[in-house]
Amino acid sequence: MKLKKLFAVLLVCALVFTGCSSNDDNGGSDGEKVTLTVWGPQEDQDTTKGNWLKKMCEEFAALHPEWNIKFVYGTCAESQAGEMVTQDPTSAADVYMFANDQLGALIDAKAISKLGGDTLTEIKANNSEEMVDSVTHDGSVYGIPFTANTWFMYYDTSVFSEEDIKSLDTMLSKAVISFPISDAWYNAAFYVANGGTLFGEDGIDASAGIDFGGDKGYQVTEYLVNLMSNKNFVNDADGSGIAGLRDGSIKAMFSGTWVYEDVKEALGDNFGAAQLPTITINGESKQLRSFFGSKSIAVNPNSKNSEVAVALARYLGGEAAQKAHYELRSIIPCNTALLEDATIAADPVVTAQNDTVANTSILQPSISEMTPYWDAATIFGKAIVGGQITSANYKEKLDAYVVSLNTPEAE
Amino acid sequence: MKKSVLKSYQRKRKIINTLIHVGLAVLAIIWILPIAWVILTSFRAEPGSYISTFLPKGYTINNYVRLFTETSMLNFPKIFMNTFIVAICSCIVTVFFVLSVAYCMSRLRFKLRKPYMNFAMIITLFPGFMSTVATYYILKALGLSEGSMILVALVLVYSAGAGTQFFIAKGFFDTIPKAIDEAAYIDGATKWQVFTRLTIPLSKPIIVYTVLTAFMAPWIDFVFARVICRASVEYYTVSLGLFRMLELTMIDAWFTRFAAGAVCVSIPIAILFVFMQRFYAEGMSGAVKG
Amino acid sequence: MKKFFKGNNKEFSTPYTLKNAIIKGDTWTRLSLAVLGAGNIARKQYIKGILYFLLQVVYLFFMITTGLGCLLSLPSLGSVEQGEIWNEAKGVYEYTAGDNSLLILLYGVATIFLLVAFILIWRSNLKSAYKAQVLKEEGKHINSFKEDIKELFNKDLHKLLMTGPFLGIVLITVLPLVFMIAMAFTNYSTINSHLILFDWVGLVNFTKILNFNDNIGRLFYSVLSWTIVWAIFATFTNYIFGTLLAIVINRKDTKFKSFWRFCFILSIAVPQFVTLLVMRSMLQQNGAVNVLLKNLGIIKTALPFFGNATWARVTVIVINMWIGIPYTLIQVTGILQNIPTELYESAKVDGANSITTFFKITMPYMLFVTTPYLITTFTNNINNFNVIYLLSAGDPTPVGATAGKTDLLVTWLYKLTIDRQYYNLGAVIGIMTFVVLAIVSLITYRNTNSYKDEEGFM
Repeated sequence: MKLKKLFAVLLVCALVFTGCSSNDDNGGSDGEKVTLTVWGPQEDQDTTKGNWLKKMCEEFAALHPEWNIKFVYGTCAESQAGEMVTQDPTSAADVYMFANDQLGALIDAKAISKLGGDTLTEIKANNSEEMVDSVTHDGSVYGIPFTANTWFMYYDTSVFSEEDIKSLDTMLSKAVISFPISDAWYNAAFYVANGGTLFGEDGIDASAGIDFGGDKGYQVTEYLVNLMSNKNFVNDADGSGIAGLRDGSIKAMFSGTWVYEDVKEALGDNFGAAQLPTITINGESKQLRSFFGSKSIAVNPNSKNSEVAVALARYLGGEAAQKAHYELRSIIPCNTALLEDATIAADPVVTAQNDTVANTSILQPSISEMTPYWDAATIFGKAIVGGQITSANYKEKLDAYVVSLNTPEAE
Repeated sequence: MKKSVLKSYQRKRKIINTLIHVGLAVLAIIWILPIAWVILTSFRAEPGSYISTFLPKGYTINNYVRLFTETSMLNFPKIFMNTFIVAICSCIVTVFFVLSVAYCMSRLRFKLRKPYMNFAMIITLFPGFMSTVATYYILKALGLSEGSMILVALVLVYSAGAGTQFFIAKGFFDTIPKAIDEAAYIDGATKWQVFTRLTIPLSKPIIVYTVLTAFMAPWIDFVFARVICRASVEYYTVSLGLFRMLELTMIDAWFTRFAAGAVCVSIPIAILFVFMQRFYAEGMSGAVKG
Repeated sequence: MKKFFKGNNKEFSTPYTLKNAIIKGDTWTRLSLAVLGAGNIARKQYIKGILYFLLQVVYLFFMITTGLGCLLSLPSLGSVEQGEIWNEAKGVYEYTAGDNSLLILLYGVATIFLLVAFILIWRSNLKSAYKAQVLKEEGKHINSFKEDIKELFNKDLHKLLMTGPFLGIVLITVLPLVFMIAMAFTNYSTINSHLILFDWVGLVNFTKILNFNDNIGRLFYSVLSWTIVWAIFATFTNYIFGTLLAIVINRKDTKFKSFWRFCFILSIAVPQFVTLLVMRSMLQQNGAVNVLLKNLGIIKTALPFFGNATWARVTVIVINMWIGIPYTLIQVTGILQNIPTELYESAKVDGANSITTFFKITMPYMLFVTTPYLITTFTNNINNFNVIYLLSAGDPTPVGATAGKTDLLVTWLYKLTIDRQYYNLGAVIGIMTFVVLAIVSLITYRNTNSYKDEEGFM
């Protein structure tokens, strides 16, 4: 028994001792030597694609000889920031990149820093109002956007004309279309088209809830049920959309910039990209609207060198970095000055995405009341695709759906 | 026995045998099918995760080549080595822990023996991944959450709790006749000597069984690895790496490489299994022959 | 219950108990109450005494500097929020760290563990001081440190061998577990934003889950019943079919035994998440299987493998057979091959035919050896995360529910915890799962022969 206790105490002692004492706040000092931990997606650190992250950080260090900066890199995709950074904010990166739907989680976990002063002025000057709204919560701005995140339409120009692509129903009458109905990020477009709102007009009124119900909701659900039986419609799931484009069985699909290269390869000269079409409900034309969000650079409030961290964040989200991002990875910039650059403006995907953001999208809400939406919409979408929702039961199913959207389950 | 009765008996036997062999063949095909599909996919030429045909249209060895050479996005060779090292280390620790505890439970008698057995049984009833976050913080307090210490952390997570996995080993030890131990004591051996010189050599089957199960754990766990490795890609384990290949932005280009990676992961495990197959079965039933 | 953890005292009682130490101890022994090691040093057990004393010093130092603070924060779980100051000079917001209830809880629990550990050390110190005193009074030999170490390799071998594993279990298994159990009594959840600062709420979560009128309560009972049904089917289909397969392969007349076994065992080598993900995508609405069946004209519309509740449940059980039968095959084959042949020979001499030998020899022997295995498999199946999560992801999920029709308690727990961040509810589910399992295991295991009759088989 004795030796056992001895080891037990020593080991667990060491544990709690170091653990408890590391709670002490370390006074940060941005004197000469500074270590900054930076997290970004692996694609931005891919050496075959120019290693954007490292390149930008080193450029930043060169511009600031007064700080002797050592960089430590880590991999964290923008969509994982909410999980990875919040797991342990005190050990997370000083500067990281996040997709704006993670904002609520990051704020709740106190893992993201507000931005103000010169930084704030710069953000507002260089970005459209929608972009700034995407990183704003309760009146404060939390990130520096560097690209918009949305989806739009890719299509085969040899099949659809410029007129055709304005209406989904016209396109359906001509050829096979694929849309990700079972994906929550996409299927809201139909409900929003017919007047549905999420948290009021601006997406921040939590008390307004998600209003997809009523007659307008019934009409959309009926439309979707009929869509399932349309022989020119195929649900896009598990990569079937891009596969269909490749083998020619599908002529139009909906996705974002991440499949741009593959679509270009598949369609070749017939490559086309455009903003979203309209759908016809009860004879009226309704505009499909996609969720748009942003990807931004954030600063960790636990950073020991906030001044340097904020400066780095500004650089990573700045014009030079966005240009490099575009050249190295075809990431579409959101810096208003850059968007007026001739070469960039001529890129069809840039046009498609920007038109979408400007004309056919709504800001994706980032308040925490949005959390039930994702599972609920996925379940509902799968039920539509799976045929559990029919023209007989769609009204009650929609009512149940709307209830699930607005109730955090554990009530 | 009359000749005709003998003949019909033999014919009956032949029919039954053929039926059984055909049945076995069908079952074997069913079992191999998904694996064959994975192997075929790893050689598939067309990219993408969705396929409209069951069999690939074109074959290539490129997926394997790219998996091991294109390391800028995902350094598969490094990840593979990481997991291999972690697996070996956790094997060693697990075997030592399991043997020690099983021996104590089976051979030695002390006050807290039965309570410990009850305790161990109860503990294993809790779902294992409940407190991954707590485990992370504990490891962090021990200084094992950054850099190469992450590998140590992984070894710890996979093997430190092995003291509860002794039941099968104990069952095995229980079948070794006590007379052997007693003869050694009469000759003046200490309990430690009996443990190291007699019991361990006799327990080759159970060592192999433990090695097998312990070796597999780091290759297939993704819950703990995710929480421990976080942003340090260079210390990922294979299951994390494979999961990353299935992410939205990567799956289209990486799916066939995912299949190739899966095959690569299966190879060491399969080799281990086949090589030690004879011992595995023995481990369960006991060393009656001693 | 007490007997469960205290064990059979009568067999191992010694006169060196704590009570005796306090009552019958002399000055030196009593001094050890306050100063660890005093009793040992007085009897010339210097190294041991100094070690005890050092432990006390380290522990007191720790408690004064950090431990006490951790314990004191435990009832309130902290309340200081993160502070935010605008630093005009640097143009940035600066933050002061607030309290983090999660860490406070964890360190509090760890400190309690240390407290318990120290109390145990204190007790053992007193006992050893008393023992030394008695031995001296009786004129018997008192062990030197070297001799104590030597005994570790012989009489006290169990202390040497059990220390490491036990420590590992405490650190990696027990500590997180206690922590998780504590979480069930708090409101640590994303609801009302209690992720950083949360409080104790007592049994509120439990009443919620067990309340049949509550949404989640109803869901709990339905998930629970499916979990048990699943575990029964999964265990027995695998066991029965696996055994049949093993017996068939093991027959005298079967050729290529190793080849057949190899085919089946190969499926274990490929990691489960690969095979399960592959099968999942093959069974989707427009996955490979449906495509194949449509092409062959066997069906017109896609089979709803995961779309319909009953289909989904049958599918997971069937696929689980694919996963589990090879394991059974291995276990059972080994047993079959190790049945002592004398048993069969004597049966043959007595004139028994193959059916009789099967039922009177093979089956009883196998059941005896595999009963612990069966029970372990049953409990493992209740907690079988991989098969359900990777294969069906719990689908089909009714609109508005957190758990799907094929979700087990364990996968539901994962969804609640990781996806929704309802940590406290997840913890309650974990505890409930454990309660169910504990009841099942204790009843069955203790009543089987394997437990009662340990020595019988040697």
